[in-house]
Amino acid sequence: MNVQASKFATLCDLSMTEAADEVAKGNVTSVELTEAALAAFELREDKINSVIWLEREAALEKAAELDALQKSGAELGPLHGVPLAHKDMYYQAGKLTTCGSKIRKDFRPDYSATVMDRLHGAGSLTLGGLNMAEFAQNPTGHNVHYGDCHNPWGYEYCTGGSSSGSGAAVGAHCVTAALGSDTGGSIRLPAAICGVTGIKPTQTRVSRYGVMPLSFSCDNVGPLARTARDCARIMTVIAGKDPMDPTSSAEPVPDYEAALTGDIRGLKIGVPENYFLEDASPEIADAFAAALEVLKARGAEIVSVTLPEMAAITTYGGIVSRCEGSTIHAQWMRERPEDYAVHLSGRMYAGYAIPAVQYLEALARRGGILKTFAAEVFGKCDVLASPTLRWRTPTLAAASMETGGDDAIETFMNVSINTRPMNYLGLPAVSVNSGFDDNGMPIGFQIAGRPFAEAKVLKVADAFQLDTDWHMQKSPVAQMI
Amino acid sequence: MSETISKLVQQTAADWSSVMPPNRPAVLLAGQMEGTIAGFTAERGKMKFEEEPSSFEAALQATKEVAA
Repeated sequence: MNVQASKFATLCDLSMTEAADEVAKGNVTSVELTEAALAAFELREDKINSVIWLEREAALEKAAELDALQKSGAELGPLHGVPLAHKDMYYQAGKLTTCGSKIRKDFRPDYSATVMDRLHGAGSLTLGGLNMAEFAQNPTGHNVHYGDCHNPWGYEYCTGGSSSGSGAAVGAHCVTAALGSDTGGSIRLPAAICGVTGIKPTQTRVSRYGVMPLSFSCDNVGPLARTARDCARIMTVIAGKDPMDPTSSAEPVPDYEAALTGDIRGLKIGVPENYFLEDASPEIADAFAAALEVLKARGAEIVSVTLPEMAAITTYGGIVSRCEGSTIHAQWMRERPEDYAVHLSGRMYAGYAIPAVQYLEALARRGGILKTFAAEVFGKCDVLASPTLRWRTPTLAAASMETGGDDAIETFMNVSINTRPMNYLGLPAVSVNSGFDDNGMPIGFQIAGRPFAEAKVLKVADAFQLDTDWHMQKSPVAQMI
Repeated sequence: MSETISKLVQQTAADWSSVMPPNRPAVLLAGQMEGTIAGFTAERGKMKFEEEPSSFEAALQATKEVAA
């Protein structure tokens, strides 16, 4: 390996917090990081198809501006100089935002998302928009309009969705972190399947102003990154009340990174006796048991918990986002249904026949069910652990509703079975890598907590990563130099 | 898949929203609404008279993590 290749690999392999800290110390420039990220996309993109658009020149100009600021001695934000790219559904005034769709292939909003303003205010720069499931509506990463996203651990495998490009680009070490969104698992699934870390915050924790809507009751904004520490730093930047989003919470935002002490002694880790491990693949169950041992060795206590109301949670959770998505897309579904992929229109269609009485029942009972769940589960443990996916990662072909036949529909629908409950309940949940299956695909470990317990679930995730190196393993694509 | 339910879904979607089945998976998944209906049937009688959607935000506060 020559010196230049060695430096390229070193820069690409930095975590986001490492990259930001190196820029702050003057050891690395934002231009160097940006050049490395752009070169990584150029070299690796054929293997993952994670990008919808990139702005190379604008990014390098911005990086030079940020470097000048760093040299001036100005106070720097916590993400200063770090190049990021995000799921292509975060509005930036005047910039392309395709939402992974044909319908919005030329859409350029005239205002910007609050989360983008906050990320830029913290010193990060945006390279472009990443591939995603069309209108964020599939859990696998299929996209007929921009091409399927491919897994950096295996070309024929799903990336998970809907934040497919975010998972693939971080898993391929093209960027250190990326925003995703999560309505039924769309951050945690690609994080798990691409071997990275991702957090779905508490419902209302992060502003959704300027973010493409799918389900106003279940949409969440959050990061995918290499480490829990990266996610913590981003969460500290993006969380908090936003006057432009009246649904956003005024709950104070702690310094999530400061909570990562590694000390989980005495913390009670809940292990579900029902639902999450039912019929799980043996290797998934084994990896889950091994992950629990890691936490136990660090001083946590493992306790069994019986989860209440799971039948109601799955029934109700299955229709809320479907009804809301169907409502948002009704006009286009009438006028131009052929412009949607089968993955979207096929799944959304039944939403037009769900009675309002049932939809409102699902929403009306949500608070009561959350209270019951919190009392019976978090009355006995601090966090609830589970596998992020219950079964092995499917191939793109096996889960394709376009070409995979009737079996593919079931495979497709089952991918998010372990993530959807957290959306109905509104709970924060993080997914970290906890090993690999027989096909060499990452296995996700999900840690959920009470509402607004982001600091705690990230603390457990960070503690897990202090004692394991699963998150440090490099995918075959990330090794390309 | 229930063909009866699938037809009911198609009729309802057409009458109320003028949305037609866009493809075969849509028809198949419409038939699978039978399972969803069964799920709702199992939940009958559990909703309290006073419950409403805004109770969820209150529940987030009532059950939230309390800083140590």
